[in-house]
This record gives sequence, C-alpha cells and structure tokens, in this order.
Amino acid sequence: MQIKEDKEIDLFVASRIGSFKHIKYHTDPSKNSKKCIENLVDIKTLQKDDSITCMVWGSPEQTDILIGRKNQQIQVYNTLQGFTKSYTADFCEGDIVGLGRHGRRLVAAVSGGVVQVWGKKENVTYNVGKIDRMKIFDGDTTIFATGGEENDLKVYRIGETEPLFMAKNLPHDWLQLRKPVWVSDLTFLSPSELAVCSRHGYIRLYDTRAQRRPVCNVECDKMAATCISKGFDERQVFVGFGRGQLHQVDLRRGHLDKGYKGAAGAITGVVISHGAVISCSLDRHLRVHKADTKELMYKQYLTSKLSCVLAQTASTTPMKDVKEEMELKEEIALEDLENTSEKPQKRSEDEQSQEIEAKKMKPSTEGSTADDEDAIINLLRSTEKQKKRRDKMKKIKKAKSVFHNA
Amino acid sequence: MARGKDKKKRKLEKKQEGDDVPKKVPHTLESLREKDETMPANADTEEQEEAQKDMELDEMATYFENSYEPKVLITYSDNPHTKTRTFGRELMKIIPNSLSRYRQRSSVKRIVQSAIREDMTDVIIVNENQKQPNGFLLIHLPNGPTAHFRLSSCKITKEMNKDHREITNHRPEVVLNNFSTRLGLTVGRMLGALFHFEPQFKGRRVVTFHNQRDYIFFRHHRYEFTKEGKRAKLCELGPRFTLKLISLQQGTFDSKHGDYEWIIAGRRHQMETSRRRFFL
Repeated sequence: MQIKEDKEIDLFVASRIGSFKHIKYHTDPSKNSKKCIENLVDIKTLQKDDSITCMVWGSPEQTDILIGRKNQQIQVYNTLQGFTKSYTADFCEGDIVGLGRHGRRLVAAVSGGVVQVWGKKENVTYNVGKIDRMKIFDGDTTIFATGGEENDLKVYRIGETEPLFMAKNLPHDWLQLRKPVWVSDLTFLSPSELAVCSRHGYIRLYDTRAQRRPVCNVECDKMAATCISKGFDERQVFVGFGRGQLHQVDLRRGHLDKGYKGAAGAITGVVISHGAVISCSLDRHLRVHKADTKELMYKQYLTSKLSCVLAQTASTTPMKDVKEEMELKEEIALEDLENTSEKPQKRSEDEQSQEIEAKKMKPSTEGSTADDEDAIINLLRSTEKQKKRRDKMKKIKKAKSVFHNA
Repeated sequence: MARGKDKKKRKLEKKQEGDDVPKKVPHTLESLREKDETMPANADTEEQEEAQKDMELDEMATYFENSYEPKVLITYSDNPHTKTRTFGRELMKIIPNSLSRYRQRSSVKRIVQSAIREDMTDVIIVNENQKQPNGFLLIHLPNGPTAHFRLSSCKITKEMNKDHREITNHRPEVVLNNFSTRLGLTVGRMLGALFHFEPQFKGRRVVTFHNQRDYIFFRHHRYEFTKEGKRAKLCELGPRFTLKLISLQQGTFDSKHGDYEWIIAGRRHQMETSRRRFFL
C-alpha cells in the first residue's frame, strides 16, 4: 500500500460574533486535534457589532486577509504579523458585502449599494443599487462584479463609470410572469465568465462575450443558494444552500452533481483546496469533504456561528503559540534534522520557531551539533524516536478501527 | 441464563448487603446519552468563554439584561376550531402581557411586520390539523430567531377535568429543565424570553419546560409549601402539551429563502445515528 503524504491546509474562519480563528487541517486524520486551532482575536473584547460579514484574501500571495465587520470597520490581517491596518467604510448604510485590492488600493462594497475605491488623492465611488455581494477578479483586479436582491449581475471596470456588462433576466414564463432575481453570491470563472447563485433557487453562468442572458441556467428546485465557489474543473462550481445542502454543480450539462452531506444548518461559506471541499455552516461546524468520493473527512465544532472561511494554498502559516510540550518540541527538532540538507527555506522557518521556543524553554541541545559523532548519535536517536512515533500511531489507529472495537 | 431464575438469589444477596449500600443509578437512554461536543458543560474554559460571549451577543440577550417586558401575540391557523381556540386562550392566561388574535387570513410575514410595528417581542402561531393543535411556531422579534415545533398530546384544562378559572393573573415562575447543548440553550432561552423576567411569587404559579430526549414537556402548576416548609405540594392547573423541535431558523420567518441554524427535515437518517443521541 502506498503511504499517503500528509498535507497541511491552513484555514481561516470568521464568525458572526466576530471571532476569527486559524485552523491547521492535516489530511492525516490522527494529527488533527484541538491544538491545531488558535484564536486570533481576543474573545473578551468583542462587542455587539463586531460580527464579521466579509473576509477575502488581500493579495495573490495569500498573506493578507481583509476583514469586513458589521460596524463598517475594515481590518487588514497579515498572517505573520497580525492586524496591521484598519479602515472605516461609513460612506453608506449597511453591512460590508465585498472587499478586495486593486493594486495597493482598497475596494469595499456596502450592502446599501455603494462601492468605493480608496485613492491617494480622492476616493472613487460607484452607485450600484442594493447588493448582496461584490467580488473582484483575481486575475485582473480592475474588474469587479456586483449583484443583489432584484439587482441582477453587473460587471464594472475601475475607471469607467458605466458597467461593462449588465445581465438580462430570462424571458417570462409560460404564464407571462416575470422571473424573480436575487443574486446571493457570485464568482469569476475566467475574465469573461461568471457564475451566479440565487436565493430563488437557480445557478446561472454568464459569458460577457456571448450574450446578456445566461449561457447556462440550472434550476435547483426552490432551494435557496447562499454561497458559491469555483470548482476544480473549468465549468464546475460548488454551491451551498440555506437548508444545509452542499452540491457540486456541472454547468456544462446543467444539473446538480454530487451532494456533500453532513451539515445541519445553512452553509455560509465554501472553498476548495487540494481535492477537498471545505465548508462552514450556521450549525457552528467546519466540515471538510473529499471532493471526488463525497466522504466527510473532518468536522470541528467552533462554538460560534460561522460566516466565512478561507483556505491558504499559496503559502503556509505557522501556529502562533507553540504549546510547551515535549512531544511537539521533539517533532520540530526531528523535522529540522531531516530538512537540513533538503529544504533551506523551511530550515529558516524552523530555526525561527526554535528560537521562539528557546526563549520559552531551556536552550535546546539538538540542531547545533558540530562533531560528526554527535550527528550520528542524533540520527540514531531520531530514528528511534520515529520508530516510537510509528508504534504510537499504529496503536491509535488500532484503537480507532471499527473491527478492533467490534 | 434466564433472568427470573436467580432472582431469589439476588434478593437474598441484597438483604445480606444491608441498607447502607448506595442505590445504583439505573441505566436509561438519558443517562447513557452520547457525549455531545456542543455542550458547554464538557468544553474547556476557552470554549466556554466563547459560548458565553456568543450568548451575550445573541438576539435574546436584551431580554436577559432585563431591559424590556415581553409582549406576546398569540395567533392561529385560519378558522381554528374550539380546542385550538381554548388552547390559545389558556396560553394567553399563562403568558403575562399577551394577547390572542385571529389570523384573518394574513400571511406570517405580514403578521411579523405588524407585530414589530406594535412593539411585540414574540409571536406564537398555533397550527391546527383535524381539530387538534399540531404545530407551534415561535418567532422572536424584531430579528429572529424562529423556532418551529411539532405540538403533540395537547390537553386543555377541560380535558384534564380542571377549571381554567383557577389560573390567576400573577406572573409565573419559569423552570427550564435539561437544555444542555448549544442548540438546546438557544431554544430554552427563546422559551424563557416569553415570560416576564420578574415572577410574582405571591401567585405561587410555576410553568415548567422539561426537556427529556428532545421532547419538551410543558406543565403548569400551583405549589404550596407544607407546614414544615420542607416540601411543596403541587396542584396541576393545565393545559399540558409536548413540543418537539423541527427547525430553528435565523431571522424572522422565511421558510423559502431563509437560513436555517438547525433543521432535521431531509437528513433524519444522517443525524439520528443512535437512540442515545439527542440534540437539545
């Protein structure tokens, strides 16, 4: 049997009460524990209006997170340095429903219907009508799209006052009744293709080059869709619903594909990473499903109603507070030993963490060997440790296995 | 081995052991309940703190700060029959500062709107099927949450051979029993927020919501202390009914487009994995 490599995914989760957490998810299930969760905001200081309504990556390197709160505060969180800057978006009433960066300028959308682009001399604003969501295209940050209740999709280019593209509703039904519109979330698939989901139970694909009406329309039986995310394929999206369903939607054939089960409350955010679908839900759980087998791989209770989730794919973030435990220290030392020759980059990271540890605890003797003999001894020791760890893992697995218990 | 065969033997053993052996707690579904991770009781301090904060910041928090007097509207499905009407009237007697109105074919969303306009804090809608009350929708105003219960084994005072005139106008005490998980706490808080925060102890009236295996039993009593003052005699006043949670929704009623915090419809087999698993 092939031994699977353990991967780590850094997840950032925001909640309705304003708490903000970092979770290190390991694809190896035995490594996941409560130690992998850390709070990034002090819970005691939270106020009534601190609820986080919007959270996006601020840079393509995925080191900055932009956080929009209900009291119209926008905060910038750097994954290594912590909170760095904060802005106020008091140009309009409502929640912050979209954030982004255009170059180094901040772009924010408020549900009252104003999108503002911060500038050096003056701020540029766009009146777009009441919106539920605004998103900026990652590949070309001059383009942003908006949509809301009875306010269909519009695509703007920063610098131009008129929208690039305005969606047109589907024709009236056979009773000559108008079809209602409510864009609850949208996502860019390419510069010209956008997928939109709605609380009226449809998912539409627009191609701005082809026509104003949707290229593909998927009706989903009156289920209120709440959030949408890009899929692994080009014409594939993941959609979460208000009654807790989560589906993969094929926009080529135009129907709902796979369903990912498990949530008891509305899905509020969904992202994909490394073949996994990560969703957060109003039932206060974070779930990770395997995309192809639909299997639930990880579930974690996070005490407050979750509103957004982000997965870090471009870079990684080390845990802040290294717990003072011997095991952990050993592991780090081990990794250090293994990586000395292979990865100089990681080496530096580990050195940093070791430095931090060294401050916290007694100075470590490992990793600073000069003589060859010492190195050999260390290596021997490390192999022994590895053996021990492997045995431990086996024991844990055995204890967990169904057959053994039965 | 047959159970009855060594019964005598066991009895003898018991006698020999004497009375000083403490009584064993019987194993029931309740006591063997599966551990629930959302219970604040078995979480670590940091989590407890966050759960506490979560409750401090939720929609019912203003009630628990004693900042307002609840004002409740009770209404029915269209054209309610006698039993449902009497049930509503009795609810009105139990809940202080409440009023009962017929629905007049208006939609729930409009009822909610006008109730907000009239400064109501909660709306109760009793649904009826085949002349029996069978649904209980509880909406906290002005911005949710909405709980939908199934109402069963409802007995009005007349069916219990009691007199509804025995129910006095004093504000009752409220007992909320066994609401232990995070979901249960929310439901318990919602039910508690129907009643005035300051009971009139003179009336000796007590209203109980007792949760057992996810069924919430409602009982209404008048109590009297015995002369030694050690025990209390109970006199049931009625009505009595049982509630079972179907869904909890965020915000006011919007079953089509709303976001549910918890819903069991369509996933019962996934969620009810064991007989010992309870949600409240």
